Amino acid sequence: MITEKKITCIVCPIGCKILVKTDGTQFEIVEGNKCKKGIEYAKNEALDPRRMLTTSALINGGEWPLISVKSSKPVPKEKIFPILKEIKKNAVDAPINSGQTIIKNVANTSIDIVATKSVKKL
Amino acid sequence: MKNFQVAIIGGGVIGSAIARELSKYKLDVVVFEMGSDVASGASKANSGVVHSGINSAPSSLKARFCVEGNKMFQSLADGLGFPVRWVGKCVIAKNEEELSELKRLKQVGMDNSVPGLEIKDGSEINESNVSCHAALWVPTAGITLPYEFTIALAENAAENNVKFLLETKVTGLKKQKNGFLIKTTKGDFNSEIVVNAAGLNCREIVSMLEEPDFQVYPCRGEYLILDKKYRSLVNSMIYPVPVKELGVLGVHITPTIEGNILLGPSAEFIDDAEDKRTTKEMMKTLLKEAREIIPAIPDKAVINAYSGMRCKLASLKEGGWADYQIEEGKQTPGLINLLGIESPGLTAAPAIAKEVTKMISQSIKLKTKNNFKSRRVKGKRFSEMTPQEQSILIKKDDRWGRIVCRCEHVTEAEVIEALSNPLGARTLSSVKYRCRAGMGRCQGGFCTQHIVRIMEGQFNIDVKDMKLKSPDSNLFYGRTREVKDD
Amino acid sequence: MINYDVDVAVIGGGPAGLAAAVSAREHGAKNVVILDRNSWLGGILPQCIHDGFGVEETGTSMTGPEYAEKYIEMAKKHGIDVMKGTMVLQFNKKLEITAVNKKGLHKIRAKSIVLAMGCREKTRWNVMIPGNRSSGIYTAGVAQAFINLYNIIPGKNVVILGSGDVGLIMARRLKFEGANVLGVVEILPYASGLPRNVVQCLDDYDIPLFLNYTVTCIDGKERLEQVTIAQVDDKMNIIPGTEKKIKCDALLLSLGLVPENELASDVGIEIDTVTGGPIVNQYLETTLAGVFACGNCLQVYDTVDVLSADAKNAGKNAAKNLTIQKEDKKISAKIVPGKGVRYVVPQRLSECERVHLTLRVEKPQESSMLRVIAGDKELLKKRLPWVNPANMIEIDVNIPSDTIAFMQSLEVTLDDH
Repeated sequence: MITEKKITCIVCPIGCKILVKTDGTQFEIVEGNKCKKGIEYAKNEALDPRRMLTTSALINGGEWPLISVKSSKPVPKEKIFPILKEIKKNAVDAPINSGQTIIKNVANTSIDIVATKSVKKL
Repeated sequence: MKNFQVAIIGGGVIGSAIARELSKYKLDVVVFEMGSDVASGASKANSGVVHSGINSAPSSLKARFCVEGNKMFQSLADGLGFPVRWVGKCVIAKNEEELSELKRLKQVGMDNSVPGLEIKDGSEINESNVSCHAALWVPTAGITLPYEFTIALAENAAENNVKFLLETKVTGLKKQKNGFLIKTTKGDFNSEIVVNAAGLNCREIVSMLEEPDFQVYPCRGEYLILDKKYRSLVNSMIYPVPVKELGVLGVHITPTIEGNILLGPSAEFIDDAEDKRTTKEMMKTLLKEAREIIPAIPDKAVINAYSGMRCKLASLKEGGWADYQIEEGKQTPGLINLLGIESPGLTAAPAIAKEVTKMISQSIKLKTKNNFKSRRVKGKRFSEMTPQEQSILIKKDDRWGRIVCRCEHVTEAEVIEALSNPLGARTLSSVKYRCRAGMGRCQGGFCTQHIVRIMEGQFNIDVKDMKLKSPDSNLFYGRTREVKDD
Repeated sequence: MINYDVDVAVIGGGPAGLAAAVSAREHGAKNVVILDRNSWLGGILPQCIHDGFGVEETGTSMTGPEYAEKYIEMAKKHGIDVMKGTMVLQFNKKLEITAVNKKGLHKIRAKSIVLAMGCREKTRWNVMIPGNRSSGIYTAGVAQAFINLYNIIPGKNVVILGSGDVGLIMARRLKFEGANVLGVVEILPYASGLPRNVVQCLDDYDIPLFLNYTVTCIDGKERLEQVTIAQVDDKMNIIPGTEKKIKCDALLLSLGLVPENELASDVGIEIDTVTGGPIVNQYLETTLAGVFACGNCLQVYDTVDVLSADAKNAGKNAAKNLTIQKEDKKISAKIVPGKGVRYVVPQRLSECERVHLTLRVEKPQESSMLRVIAGDKELLKKRLPWVNPANMIEIDVNIPSDTIAFMQSLEVTLDDH
């Protein structure tokens, strides 16, 4: 089924509203993009929208109660809440260094969750 | 069940002043306060003025206690370590008609033995931003910090063994053979004498024992606070001639101890005594009325707003003015009622306390304590110390070296001292009113997190139980991540 | 009193202070000290756990803590002294700083000072929202610190006032933590934050954005219970009858930032009433010689990338100040905002050369012409396809030495194209 979607381009601060037609695999711009950069963005947004995920995880015995984390690469949009749920269940032990993997293959996405901060042991 | 000789209902300025006065004697005294700290109601939200006594008829209790209280203020301030400054006040007349009102006020003041009153020509007053036809100069009017005054009275009373029960609401009173059974949200108590200093709730308390023969009319007063930058707009307090039909003094301009200026209060009779909302309309009106006195007040000078509730015994229809009623319950001996204690209640409080003590002495023989601590040990603020004093203290206790509130330069040691107060008040506001943390420009933006950490780490208060100012004013919902107990 | 002598003292260890300190070392200053009141370096960055930092600067998107750690490492490598938990109480015209920490009072005599104190958030009272003084009202940054650093969640049903980037990011953050975000309320006809954040923080999670709306009343005798929002007209007056009541237990305020300059104004440094920061020349030197300013206490920046670049400049000049013979500056021309321009930093010109200007326009506009004018001479003309007050504009302009001889001021204007 072909549907129309309105996508706000975020490539530059103008924020063009791009209208696209897509059936999930095929993709076509209807109108709205002021430049070519918008096409690539709109295509990804229409076919496979992904987001970097940043949040925090509980850390035991650290100088801070929480450690900030991120996904090792952008995650599919629909996986955001399942991933958050898994992170919430987890707790790590201090010390942790920035860049250290905290959860491997989170929610079966083959994406890892990585610390973005170094937290020393208290 | 705990037995007391005197139970005071209400930890406002009146209840606290009575508690402090009674703490001079060998008596078991308790104060029930439903708020999370003393000065939770009208005692906190007013002009902070120490009145002279020119506004009430000589025969009235308002005049008597105001004049007496005024005279007691300086020595109380010295002993208890709260600030008072005798900045004086000008009541201004815009025209010949208002000048005759000034003359009347002066006569009332003279009849009340208020010294130093003087009517001056508009050009003679020491206020370059005020233009007026004439002014009544009242040199014995002063300013104080109403919450610090109340806290000082209460803490000194507590240091002299008066028991303060915060977050304790009196839910029922019953006359018994030897006194009263007092039902509260924290259990039942007995007391020989009950002092009803419940402010706006005074009628509710009376009605627990007898049919009240009076009504309470809440009258809201909104205020605006101006930034410290504008402190030099006035030297003294500037009042218009009183608004007779409301029984109030009118929107006046008051410098504060902290260096701000207050505009207000408004006077609005409302049904809900708890409705302390400020309104956009009144903010505009206050600014307009204040500008009739000082045209030079800029819009952006306003940095804060609050409101307080007057406890009036006369309705708008009746002209809003009624005298205090300080007397034993009509059918209930042993119940001492303090009704309709509105302005100048702050000034009158120490004198009312003496009067109530005298009333109590008629049924209980009062013996003075020989270990009464009349002075409250109140150290200097870090920000007011010399560098030497600061260095010595940091060496003794390094928490004096950690600034928690960057706007007002309040240290960790001062926050801890505030949280360790003898009343057991543990809210964010009780910290603010004791050491000024959170009172500066950022309004707690920086220090709240540090104070919360101190409450959590050093006072073991759970984040869910932390409060802003009152029993149900929780600060937080809970944890971002629930910590599991293993 | 503990005494020190240093070349450069940097007040504030956030991104600006770190960048300035590193740059001062790189440009020859030997003893550089950073004084910071927090127990950590990086200022606000550790609580900004979202990504998007450093894209312009390094080409990769970092989270706040990662960006901070990068600079903290550099500071360490350069042997910069760091005094944490240290509050500067004041400094005087001789550049003697009085600071306090748990070790005692310190007097630091500096040859140059870099101001990098950052900013604070506007509160409810900056916009005078009437109603109750309930608990549950937080500025967005304070809520961010509680959630991301201290493991405390302020509320469960949240309204956010102000659509700046912090407000938008907090909307998503709260959603991630299971709170209901009932709406973001913005008085302007457009969101103040980046479109990217509108899309990824609001649209992604169907969080409503109320444009041309503001909060008109706060209700809740103790804890917050409800807010009233109402529509405003083009003069920002409330339109009667458009009020909506929203039940909530927390209100987050994202109303903008105010540079923190009490230290600077106390010593008599002139402050620009529009930027809220010190008046500086092209070396980012304030009106007190030897004192430089950078970061959000100079002006509120949009991105940390641009902020760091300017801060490095301040650090470099603070280091150079050590070797330059102090003499009266040859010229002192004003750089003033003209038509369509809200402010320009720097506000003064001390020498004719190529200078870097940062500025903000007064209102959003498509296709306009930016001009830099000295008397009747046009020094620069640049067409801008799109401008918005929320987006800082940076330009470099050559100022030939002959322009300045009779010149009183340099004007920057924006015209319709």
